[in-house]
Amino acid sequence: MRDITRRDIFKLGAVGAAVIATGKAFSSQALAGDIVEGGKDFSPKTGVERTMIPSSCWSCVTRDPMIGFVEDGRLVKLEGQPNSIRSRGKICAKGAAGINQLYDPDRILYPMKRVGKRGEGKWKRITWDEALTELTARLKKVRDDGHPEKFMFHYGRMKASSSKIVKAFLSAYGTGTVGNHTSICEGGKWTAQELTWGAHYDNWDFDNTKYVLNFGSGVLEAHTNHIPTSQRLVEAMVDRGVKMVTFDVRISNTAARSTEWVPIKPGTDGAVVLAMCREVMEAGLYDKAFFPFIKATDNPNASTDEKVAALKAHLAKYTPQWAEKISGVPAAKIKATALEFAQNKPACVISYRGAVAHYNGNDTERAVQMLGAITGNIDNPGGRCHGVGAKWKSPKGPKGPKAKKLKILDGFKGAAAYPTHHSNHQILKVIKDGKAGRPDIYMWYCYTPVYANGECQENIDILKDESLIPYTVAVNAYYDESTALADLILPNPSYLEWWDWEDMVSPTQVPEYYIRQPFVKPLGESRDFKDVVCDLSSRLGFPLGFNSAEEFVKKSCEMTPGIKAAGGFDFMKKQGVWHDPNAKPKFDMYKKKVKADALKKAGVIFDDATSTYWNWKKSGAKSEAEAKQKGYTKTKNAYKGYVGLKVGNDVFAGFKPDKVNKSGFFEFYSELLKIKNFPALPTYVPIPEHEKMGPNELVLTTYKVPVHIHARSANCKWLTEIYHDNPGMINTETAGRLGISDGDRIKVKSEVGEITTTANVTEAVVPGVIAISHHLGHWEYGRYASGKKAPMAGDDDPDLKLKWWDTYGVHPNWIIPNKLDPINGQQRWMDTVVTVKKA
Amino acid sequence: MSQTNDRENRDVARQRSHIYGLLATFYRQEVTSDFLRQIKAPQFLGVFSDLGLEMGQDLFQKSEESVLEEMSVEYARLLLGPGRHISPHESVHLPEEEGGTGQLWGKPAVKVKKFIEASGLEYKSEYSGLPDHISVELEFMQHLTLREAQAWEEDGRKGSEFYLNIEKTFMEEHLTRWIPIFCEKVMEETEMPFYKGMAALTKKFIEFEQEEMVDKSG
Repeated sequence: MRDITRRDIFKLGAVGAAVIATGKAFSSQALAGDIVEGGKDFSPKTGVERTMIPSSCWSCVTRDPMIGFVEDGRLVKLEGQPNSIRSRGKICAKGAAGINQLYDPDRILYPMKRVGKRGEGKWKRITWDEALTELTARLKKVRDDGHPEKFMFHYGRMKASSSKIVKAFLSAYGTGTVGNHTSICEGGKWTAQELTWGAHYDNWDFDNTKYVLNFGSGVLEAHTNHIPTSQRLVEAMVDRGVKMVTFDVRISNTAARSTEWVPIKPGTDGAVVLAMCREVMEAGLYDKAFFPFIKATDNPNASTDEKVAALKAHLAKYTPQWAEKISGVPAAKIKATALEFAQNKPACVISYRGAVAHYNGNDTERAVQMLGAITGNIDNPGGRCHGVGAKWKSPKGPKGPKAKKLKILDGFKGAAAYPTHHSNHQILKVIKDGKAGRPDIYMWYCYTPVYANGECQENIDILKDESLIPYTVAVNAYYDESTALADLILPNPSYLEWWDWEDMVSPTQVPEYYIRQPFVKPLGESRDFKDVVCDLSSRLGFPLGFNSAEEFVKKSCEMTPGIKAAGGFDFMKKQGVWHDPNAKPKFDMYKKKVKADALKKAGVIFDDATSTYWNWKKSGAKSEAEAKQKGYTKTKNAYKGYVGLKVGNDVFAGFKPDKVNKSGFFEFYSELLKIKNFPALPTYVPIPEHEKMGPNELVLTTYKVPVHIHARSANCKWLTEIYHDNPGMINTETAGRLGISDGDRIKVKSEVGEITTTANVTEAVVPGVIAISHHLGHWEYGRYASGKKAPMAGDDDPDLKLKWWDTYGVHPNWIIPNKLDPINGQQRWMDTVVTVKKA
Repeated sequence: MSQTNDRENRDVARQRSHIYGLLATFYRQEVTSDFLRQIKAPQFLGVFSDLGLEMGQDLFQKSEESVLEEMSVEYARLLLGPGRHISPHESVHLPEEEGGTGQLWGKPAVKVKKFIEASGLEYKSEYSGLPDHISVELEFMQHLTLREAQAWEEDGRKGSEFYLNIEKTFMEEHLTRWIPIFCEKVMEETEMPFYKGMAALTKKFIEFEQEEMVDKSG
């Protein structure tokens, strides 16, 4: 036989086709189905068939979409989701180590009831029915007594569908005593943004930016939208040569990878930013086109020239020389950076806790917003933009009674002017005080009040005291420091075992819809708390209308138009993520004109003082007359009726307010702050404690590392193996002055306590500061975190024998007082004055 | 890549799919009367002789019934047993250095099954044979090349690459490693011209495919 040529193929093919055409006469073929991407999958390592399941992370609040591989019923690997427009197939170390959360040998797998004294560590395993019968009886009694507010629910992270489901339960129950954890996170930044441009969350458009100015954000390692933003920033810097200048008290990984690190004294960012604003204005580099949308004086009709003059007058005193004395940043550097920032458009000014978690953090953030706005870098491609997330439609729970609430969420009365995200680190103090009432039942969820707040000892003392809080319930998968003080433990699964729909902000300004689905069934008897509240609601007589988180997610998929059209729940289970391929990125939304019809709707009136159209019927006003008499700014919840902003003869969408009655302007000048006797324009106020510091006192500053989640990952063996000790960083000069050498044991003492750690003497932190990371120093939370076995732990992790470290670090929160920013109620993590001595 | 080239590539892929289908049919079971009718058709005979293959005289001189009978006996003797036969399974023929053990349902069979299932196809529940039977491997290629043809039509080079990659990998990891060896054994063992011819055709076609794949990836 001769060789076959390409020409033969057609002749042979024709013969084949004829044979196949009569194929019915032949026996059936062996294979069925279709060739697709994503058929069966086999582990290249073990050869075992594995299932790929799309879901999403929950290690940190970024909540990246991801894919997990399940082999023989065990989750073996987590990877990024390549189809996600947010994360583009990437996850971080914390995300990959999520498996450790699932298989932590110290996990709580059964409902547990305290026996013996609270906190003694003696537990009895009970059934779910026993647990819920007991809890229902207590909840019912409180509610029947007419005091649903005495059931306090306190969550640390509860987002997206989790929030909808649990809040449906709380609302149907009738309690408004619902705490969160935002004041120990970023609440201050959010409030400051609400006071300037309305929305609380900002996205940084690194895809289009030419220049990045960073005040106190660990954007490359620990940001709240970490993987989506950091990878784009890396690309901007590496591929396009974008410059990033980072102001920080410490060489963070972000500072180290910045084009330039500018060391700055703690709590003085505001001075530098204001001086930069001054330089931009004086050099005439401001963007006139944006000024019609700025409120810079008390007059809403001020001309751009008047606004410019007012700003220049306000900023006159903030010279770079003045800022240098306060911050330690050379005046020439401040001026040069300001001009460079203004001349490279579009540019992005970013900020986070390093700049904001201070006594003066609110106005630092407002000043940062001002710098972005005067240079026209707001809501534009390449600038600081409003966060854009998915808008899911979802089932509503039953309408509950008007919620009652204990006034314990915002700190002591009058302590903060606008605690729009509460001041939850104050709650235990306020409970102890008792004047605002105390809860009978205190339940916490994905939260650790003892460890996550400052003043740990006080938290323990209060939570332990049954006379202050009669009944405590922890919903947790792990035996952490707070769970140890519960009366009842409801074992939650890890996030790898539960359902959610998700909506975290997209860096592309196009919303991404995605879900979280279980990789495996909840281990032991752990039950998703969302399913538990469905059960509890039925037991209490107000069923929610859905019986599980899965059902809720399924219904939401059918109710949300884009998802439904794409194939609904089945599509999402298979694909995990969806975005509208035709959606345009949301930029410049404030420039959109409001249609004339919208102004003619019943209840819409114009407020001269703010140049704002609003619908009084959606506010707390009882009549139009009352609304007009009180005006937009002073009518309760007027912001809920916001319609638009009048500029000249046009009405624009403007900067829509949220939480407070801000006008539709981008407000530099804040009437709301003036009413509360704070400066209306962003102003530098020194930190009182820092003004009174003695020569041997230091400022304690805290930070997060790339491989740990705030308080939630020390139980992850892969992460703790990498990072399990956190000595205090002290500048060489400061250490020399205090007679401290590298490696010395040191005592760090504040007004509320003392801790012992090791000195890391280094140039990587500014003089006068000691920097100690969060994450470590656990005294519970299982063997990987603390060396201490949980009372109900198992021994089914062979790696326990391989654990080689026996240092667990130190927790700085013991000595950080629970204080607050007087404007927004934010915990002042970075302000604590301490003395440091050799131990 | 021009549209003309896409069309030609589509046509070639389609013809290759038909050839894989023909070969799979041949190895799947004994020749049926329908198949025999196709074999005796002028078109088939033309291609066969054009390639330099003999069909033998028995095919035309004996009755259809006895030809089918003889072919069935030969099929069983060669490929099924009882007694000494040439098992048409990859596991048996794969050289030892490439993981073969000479056994049925060996590791290579598991690999074939996983490969096919990873593509999204599955073995029909009524299929009672082993996963690495020569007809299954050829049928798998039949499916792949058919989808490749569709992809040329719909997406051009971009779409077809996905299937070409799978074809190439399967060809390299499986077909070329054992089918030529198997065909040699059949050609040596059988005296029936049609069987000898089909085995030769299979071997030459796999060799042709192997060379084409090298060209395409080059």
